[in-house]
Amino acid sequence: MKKLVLAIAATAMMAGAAQAQSYPNRPVTMIVPFAAGGPTDIVARIVGEHMSKTLGQQIVVENVAGAGGTTGITRASQSKNDGYTIMMGHMGTHGAAPALYANLKYDPVKDFEPVGMAAGTPILIVGKKNFPAKDLKEMMAYLKANPDKVNQAHAGIGAVSHMTCIMFNSQLGIKPTAVPYSGTGPALNDLVSGQVDYMCDQIVNLVQQIKAGSIKAYAIATPVRSPALPDVPTTVEAGMPDYQVTAWNAIFAPKDTPKEVMTALTDALNKALDDEATKGRLLELGAVLPTKTERGGQWLGEFVGKEVARWTPVLKDASK
Amino acid sequence: MSGQVAPSEDQSPGLIKSTQELGAGLFLMAIALFFYWQGLDLPRGTLRALGPGMLPLALVTLLGVGGLMMVIYSLFETGPRLERWSLRGPFFVFGGIILFALLIRTCGLMIAGPVSMIFGMMASDEFKLKEATIFSIAMTIICILLFKTLLRLPIPVIGTLLEPIFPF
Amino acid sequence: MEAFLGNLAMGFGVALTLNNIFLCFVGCMVGTLIGVLPGVGPIATIAMLLPITFGFDPTGALIMLAGIYYGAQYGGSTTAILVNIPGEATSVVTVLDGHQMAKQGRAGVALGMAAMGSFFAGTVATLFIAALGQPLTKLAQLFGPAEYFSLMIMGLVFAVVLARGSILKAMCMILLGLLLATVGTDLETGQERMTLGIQDLSDGVDFAVLAMGIFGFAEIVRNLENPETRDVVRAAIGRLWPSKDDFRQSYFPILRGTLIGAVLGILPGNGAVLGPFASYTVEKKIAKDPKRFGRGAIEGVAGPESANNAGAQTAFIPLLTLGIPPNAVMALMVGAMTIHGIIPGPQVMTKNPELFWGMVASMWLGNLMLVIINLPLIGLWVKLLQVPYRMMFPAIMIFCCIGIYSINNSTSDVLFTAFFGLVGYTLLKFGFEPAPMLLRFVLGKLMEEKLRQALILSRGSFSTFIERPVSAGLLLVAVVMLAIALLPSIQKGRDEVFTE
Repeated sequence: MKKLVLAIAATAMMAGAAQAQSYPNRPVTMIVPFAAGGPTDIVARIVGEHMSKTLGQQIVVENVAGAGGTTGITRASQSKNDGYTIMMGHMGTHGAAPALYANLKYDPVKDFEPVGMAAGTPILIVGKKNFPAKDLKEMMAYLKANPDKVNQAHAGIGAVSHMTCIMFNSQLGIKPTAVPYSGTGPALNDLVSGQVDYMCDQIVNLVQQIKAGSIKAYAIATPVRSPALPDVPTTVEAGMPDYQVTAWNAIFAPKDTPKEVMTALTDALNKALDDEATKGRLLELGAVLPTKTERGGQWLGEFVGKEVARWTPVLKDASK
Repeated sequence: MSGQVAPSEDQSPGLIKSTQELGAGLFLMAIALFFYWQGLDLPRGTLRALGPGMLPLALVTLLGVGGLMMVIYSLFETGPRLERWSLRGPFFVFGGIILFALLIRTCGLMIAGPVSMIFGMMASDEFKLKEATIFSIAMTIICILLFKTLLRLPIPVIGTLLEPIFPF
Repeated sequence: MEAFLGNLAMGFGVALTLNNIFLCFVGCMVGTLIGVLPGVGPIATIAMLLPITFGFDPTGALIMLAGIYYGAQYGGSTTAILVNIPGEATSVVTVLDGHQMAKQGRAGVALGMAAMGSFFAGTVATLFIAALGQPLTKLAQLFGPAEYFSLMIMGLVFAVVLARGSILKAMCMILLGLLLATVGTDLETGQERMTLGIQDLSDGVDFAVLAMGIFGFAEIVRNLENPETRDVVRAAIGRLWPSKDDFRQSYFPILRGTLIGAVLGILPGNGAVLGPFASYTVEKKIAKDPKRFGRGAIEGVAGPESANNAGAQTAFIPLLTLGIPPNAVMALMVGAMTIHGIIPGPQVMTKNPELFWGMVASMWLGNLMLVIINLPLIGLWVKLLQVPYRMMFPAIMIFCCIGIYSINNSTSDVLFTAFFGLVGYTLLKFGFEPAPMLLRFVLGKLMEEKLRQALILSRGSFSTFIERPVSAGLLLVAVVMLAIALLPSIQKGRDEVFTE
């Protein structure tokens, strides 16, 4: 027993000396604030796999779901800022959360060191198969004419489909009946079977249904068409150019993480985004990748500020 | 109060015909009251447009009535008496679990495993310190191999407090 | 018919490659292992194993992940029977009679019957998916929020029938389960309900947390204070293999369970959880001597276990044909498919026929493997019961703690489990049965959600439940069942209060 204690103490001391070595010398935890298998989780795992290669240490994805992602981000923001805990933030957690959660325990702008944008998934406006509108213009007219009749589905308060449709409705100046579901699956199911009229959600959740013709796509909220759905017009083409929404995912570290750690992380992320295989995988999902100017921490930091400013008034107004 | 009744399996002859039923009723009423208080601030909405507070209020009311019925039954219908409550089992078992929760992130499975298991094993009247120590350390090693190595769960083995001195 | 056979042949061609057989085997082994460990569910494991499958081809990866899924179902039943802990909502029912059988020294019989019932159900369900997958999805599309709510009301009747002992106490447990289900963020307004201001409760109480607390830890504490009951399990180890009589009693429950489970599994709103409960209710209702139920009736294991496995299998139908995941594990499968560049949806069947039929074929193969893996293990599992309890319970404890922690990497979940353990212990002391509460807890969330969706869609009119034919039919069945179930139950409930 005594020998064991001595041995442990000896290794501990040697380990202390090894601490001085460069970052990272043990696995890095990436907190994903959503359940495994969702769009953010998939992006994190694909990007994380390549980043592990560059860093020479495994990036372990830890899913901490709850309260629209704010549970996980709160935990990550309070963890040690040594670079061994990083997180995959998201449009909701770092854009909309301050407006949705009154007692949010973090500030998306001040409490984080931005690593860089990873990938975003564009938002689509879709309707049920027999919705009486053949394009977005007709749809807008119909929604404005029948505000009491239409039902809009969303996957719960704080979900991407909830926030993005609020933005859509507020730009149209309507407040339709919103039917809440406990996830994208059930909401989509009722859209396919025609219980509800329309919804807005990420392309990855909808692409197969659109291709099969079980729901109708009206527009994609990006400046250019998506290669995954080349027949779906952009909101610019279809007559609603101000509706530009992408559910973005970006990597952050806790506040005051050392400079050299941030450089290493940003560098690893950029290498992952340059890798053909990783890029291919993300594009298959219908994701949009950051352009060269949209990379890195500085751009992301400014972007988060703009997102918070953009979502707060819209969401506050909708909850009145 | 029911614990003071003489230990016999027969139902008590006094006013209360079933102490178990009485306790059950009171327990449910306490739960109902607690949730009623918790849900006071929730908007109830109307029957046509249900608010968040409507269903909880309905359930709490029914639960309270159920508890009350049990209390009344306990005065008229003979039933089983309340079993003896032991403190040793709950204290050590739940204490062990709480220790696990407190230690797992800071000290890791390495420490949380043996500590929580040894503490929990004290719940048994056959507790032997040596056996418990060896068993819990062996179990912890098995768990680390099983969950960390084989199943790759992101469970902390070393913990944040000890991490800087164990760089693996 | 020819196309059907051709498709199946193609599927087996894919599933029977050496590589895929191996992956299927590994999946089933890992699944059985995590299923047997109390507290460690398939969700955490599949999530963790996802990255390993990056290197495989999509079909192989999905075959392995699917293997983990039904392996875990099998393993979960083993734990339910041996140590009285339901690892998942679907094995709550198995606990009732399965563990009683174990206490009577019939653990081997219960395990064997569960395995064989599951295999039969798996075989039928596989054929079911292959032949009727596409048309059945259309049926599921008939279910809107109103129909679901009516189905849940029907489920309420099951809960009443499940009750052992006092009917009043069972009703109160049902109410308590529903009440616990309301904890968390309100779906419609986003308001926090009954969360005591604890952020970790904002998504409600996790099923595993409640089940481990109420069943697992409460049971440990109870066993510790009654050395007699736990030694019964140890002392009496009877035959390992079901006798002729056991088989005779189980044929029809297995058939009925398979049918019930397969049909309910197709429903897109996690209808599979209803299967075992429905099967148990049916068996108890048509049994000559319903009193045996809850005291180690083999029908109460054979029927629900078959329903469980059939449902687990047919739950793939909405995923594979519609691309809509009916539950959390299936949502994870969507993630797995997406990572491999296949976005599940109506087109998978036509665009990736090898994947679709390969998976269908591998389901059957997986079931066969599970029987082969599990039957020889029964002897080993039963031997485990002979481990002295003073070592058994800390092992269960640590597995549960690790499992609970891993669900969401959250220490507060572990603390909640301890709390619910205390609640469960108190409930046992007051003579309550936890099973109806757990069932209502599972269904409660769905029930409120569907009720409110239906009322939002109908703009507040309750007549929507009667105007829609499917919904009206379900409600009618519920009323009739309640009438049949309640009248004799009240009588019997009182009898039991007097005799106990």
